[in-house]
Amino acid sequence: MSTPPLLEIEGLVVKYGPAVALDGVSLSLEAGERVALIGPNGAGKTSLLNGVCGLLEPAAGRVRLDGRDLTGRGPGEIVRAGLTQVPEGRQVFPTLPVEANLLLGAYGREFRHELVSATLRYLRRRGEIAARLERVYSLMPKLRELRERPAGRTSGGEQQMVAIGRALMAEPRLLAIDELSLGLAPLVVQDLSAFLLRLNEEEGVALLLVEQNAVLALELCSRAYVLEAGRLVLAGPSHELEQNETVRSAYLGGGLDVADAEPGTQTEPGP
Amino acid sequence: MREFLQLVVVGISTGSAYALVGIGMVLVFRTTGIVNFAQGSFAVLGGLFMVELVDELHGLLAGLVAVLAVGFVGSLVGFVAVGFRHRTTPLASLIITLGIALLIASLNLLAFGDRPHTYPTIFERAWDIGGVLVQPQYVLVAGVTLLAALLLTLGLQRTIAGQALGACADSRRAAELVGIDVRAVAAIAFAVSAGLSALGWVLLTPVDPVNYDSDVRIAINGFAAAAFGGLASIRLAYVGGLVLGVAQQLVVGYADEIPGLGQQARQYELAAALVIMLVLIGWRARHEVHE
Repeated sequence: MSTPPLLEIEGLVVKYGPAVALDGVSLSLEAGERVALIGPNGAGKTSLLNGVCGLLEPAAGRVRLDGRDLTGRGPGEIVRAGLTQVPEGRQVFPTLPVEANLLLGAYGREFRHELVSATLRYLRRRGEIAARLERVYSLMPKLRELRERPAGRTSGGEQQMVAIGRALMAEPRLLAIDELSLGLAPLVVQDLSAFLLRLNEEEGVALLLVEQNAVLALELCSRAYVLEAGRLVLAGPSHELEQNETVRSAYLGGGLDVADAEPGTQTEPGP
Repeated sequence: MREFLQLVVVGISTGSAYALVGIGMVLVFRTTGIVNFAQGSFAVLGGLFMVELVDELHGLLAGLVAVLAVGFVGSLVGFVAVGFRHRTTPLASLIITLGIALLIASLNLLAFGDRPHTYPTIFERAWDIGGVLVQPQYVLVAGVTLLAALLLTLGLQRTIAGQALGACADSRRAAELVGIDVRAVAAIAFAVSAGLSALGWVLLTPVDPVNYDSDVRIAINGFAAAAFGGLASIRLAYVGGLVLGVAQQLVVGYADEIPGLGQQARQYELAAALVIMLVLIGWRARHEVHE
């Protein structure tokens, strides 16, 4: 018998009242893999993530981590099972110092019922958590410099670092990142994706990259799913999708004819 | 001048107790988005429990038990008011807290009757400071309030549990995503704010008797204190409480001298203070816009 995949989503349906945002999506992801989920704005990418991470209760379908059924469980339980989400728009805690942001990532994991026992469990593991904080700082030295500063007063790229570092403090085996590149300068995005690649290869953390920026997602991930209007329309290895005509025209910004006629040349930069 | 100072001293003390209620409201509002109108009931419960307990126990112990008991009641109210995940809106929660406030008032009427309750202060006589009579109890209320506000601020900044409260205030969604149980944090916010409100009236009751229906006056004053800082700032809620307390005392003190008003002055205390508060809030809002 083969081991179950790290993440397995089966026929997931997410609704907002009568509106169907996600209409029966199935996908899976193995331990240590890098997988992208691409699609236009409003395709249901964030709904899928929120349905998986416990922010929304799915109307139908199953979510399994390591073969364990976690459908409709709260966000805390998903985090403890090994999946942490880096939400769209970073969502750092702006008034709290960077270091507190990071520590809260580890603290949140201790919540099972209430604040007092969570605090006691957290304090008991303080040494271990300090070591993990040190590890995050060594992975992202910039955060060590910013540790005292309120997270709201750091740059967009730094906030993305804080959000990723906060997620890493929960020791995830799968990191789901919603719109890594949103609102960030290309150079910053480059640094971040190099970091994620290293994180994946050296630490073995699997990545689920949810992106509108298909170029980035296909470059960084070995496999991708394409979501449109709440359904999966394509799936496959990134290099195949890069060659796929629909993907090229819709997501890679190239006109079909131009790309076919002169495969080597660069398309004109967009406005 | 002497009378003025006398009124200010009393005002600072009652204002401190209002400040505690206001700070509690800020704490709950920041972490849960709920305006908690049961906050006044917590204060009344604090006072009534204290009156009952002070005959049986040493004063310090009685106060501690009263504050902890009301804190426990507060955490229960928190669980009920927060309701179901993603189903109960802040507005629905507000109505729930109003309902709970009415319920507590009715139970208090049944249990304690409709007369004002008080207990004797442990201090034998007032201090005479340059002709101004200062009840030590007033100083106690003001001092403890300041200490509690400082400790709370420090706790929110320095402890991981306090930072979790701050995290829920900053972004409830992100707090949920890192695994913090937002309901558990809400219950703690309610418990702490209930304890704070109770503390105010545990100490104030000897000089300001508490009645089963005092909760409305206290909740409105506490809300006005909190509104001074836009329900967002503990520091400004503290200042707001003091301003409100002093303003009320001045209105009562000087309205007495207006012929024909005399004994009825107390009725205008709340209204006049709220008008002053409204003006101050308006002034502050203008000031912020111009910044």
